[in-house]
Amino acid sequence: MRIELEDVRHIYAPGTPFEVEALRGVSLAVEPDEALGIVGGTGSGKSTLAQHLNLLLAPTSGRVLVDGADARTLKGVELRRRVGLVFQFPEAALFAPTVEEDVAFAPRRLGLDEEETRERVSETLELLGASHLVGRAPHALSGGEKRRVAIAGVLAMAPEVLVLDEPTAGLDPATREDLLGVVRALRDGGTSVVMVSHDLDEVAEVVDRVCVLEKGELLAVGAPETVFYAHLVTAPSTVRTASILRGPYPEVGRPVRFKDTLAALKGLLEGRG
Amino acid sequence: MTASRSLGQFYPVASLLHGLDARAKILATAVLAVGLFLVDSVAGFLLGAAMVVLLVAASRVPPGIFLGFLRPVAFIVALTLLFQILFSPEGETLFAWGFLEVHEGGLMRGLFLALRILLLVSTAGLLTATTAPVALADGIEDLLSPLKKLRFPAHELAMMTTIALRFIPTLHEETQKIARAQAARGADFSEGGPIRRARALLPVLIPLTVGAFRRADELAEAMESRGYRGGEGRMRYRESRFRARDALALAAAVLVVAGGILV
Repeated sequence: MRIELEDVRHIYAPGTPFEVEALRGVSLAVEPDEALGIVGGTGSGKSTLAQHLNLLLAPTSGRVLVDGADARTLKGVELRRRVGLVFQFPEAALFAPTVEEDVAFAPRRLGLDEEETRERVSETLELLGASHLVGRAPHALSGGEKRRVAIAGVLAMAPEVLVLDEPTAGLDPATREDLLGVVRALRDGGTSVVMVSHDLDEVAEVVDRVCVLEKGELLAVGAPETVFYAHLVTAPSTVRTASILRGPYPEVGRPVRFKDTLAALKGLLEGRG
Repeated sequence: MTASRSLGQFYPVASLLHGLDARAKILATAVLAVGLFLVDSVAGFLLGAAMVVLLVAASRVPPGIFLGFLRPVAFIVALTLLFQILFSPEGETLFAWGFLEVHEGGLMRGLFLALRILLLVSTAGLLTATTAPVALADGIEDLLSPLKKLRFPAHELAMMTTIALRFIPTLHEETQKIARAQAARGADFSEGGPIRRARALLPVLIPLTVGAFRRADELAEAMESRGYRGGEGRMRYRESRFRARDALALAAAVLVVAGGILV
């Protein structure tokens, strides 16, 4: 499915002294089968934007279109099933006595029968490398384990688009790598992924396109090499390194991912040797 | 991010009332509250209502906010009014319909009682809307501090009040966040009867409770690690001063109440 934001503005608590304009007219599309990264500083509107993708927040003005039709014409539950949203620190919403029941919450709410539900639960837990936790109590798990279970709780709806808000914040490097692997696997399996993050290095590793938000406005959107090399302030360390070397050694090119950057540097060293 | 507007929340604007000392405002509110129970005449209530309207205007808090304060008590007020009108057979009969009779005395008493509740809530709302929670708690502590001699835990009570008030918006925000996270998983809080709706809240209430305990633990640790050990010898960052205008405000409250009772 294709989600399109049309000149979306969002104002929190309008008409009070607490009024904040979080989005100032953002137009952006999430294409089918792509991984889109949303980056920007704190308070740039990333999380607000993410919550518009399944209309948990409604735009103050502007429209959200799903496959060309106004998203408001879809039933709320239907839209939330098709666009899975994983909030920042999703483990704060774990509530069931066991991991299995927590992950089963969404499929049951969608009306799946017990057998289908069990299937969904074991599939998603396996995808997230958390099958062994199935009978445990969520509150007794480690931070990384909780995160895996919480993400499974949304993925169990089998959404067409998965929106992840800072999925790796506060995680250990191993769990983080695992999660990025899951994101890649989902994208290759035909699920669109929107990843909100201020960790530019990890965004660079998984996305097809990236958009930069600043103070509620869209600063740039496009292929990572185009966007990152044009906005070095919001570029990952690979891009910043390569852009310095590009002065004296233009043959470095415009690598973004770690692997490509390493290959470019190797090429450079071998060319000189 | 979502600012909440719930009962008795501080509304930060600059006004004459905001500038008054919290102790003066607490005492004045207490005087007015007691006064409202003693007033028993049309003129007295007119005076009380005029004063509340004047104070609301002086507070520069939008009147809509006060209507928000009144909403939770509207049902009680309506019920009280109805009971008083229907079931106090005093004075002249205004009209009768079957066994229902409306008497002049009952009508008046009902209106007085309803007005009393509305004015009381508005006055309390004035206090909380124009006084920052910390100043309010400090004021309560100061007013209760003579009781410390009798081993009354005035400081602890004030600290607990401050913390409780401080965490209302935090918990509110947390509730919304969790509710939205569960909504993203298909939870629906608006369908079904009251029992189903209450059950639907469990996925919100459980994490909220767990989070509140965790937060309380963290706060206690943070306070201890900064050397907090109770009220003994503790100073304040903001010293409150009782100025002439505070005394004036208090005197004005006493005068209005005296006037309201006498007329």
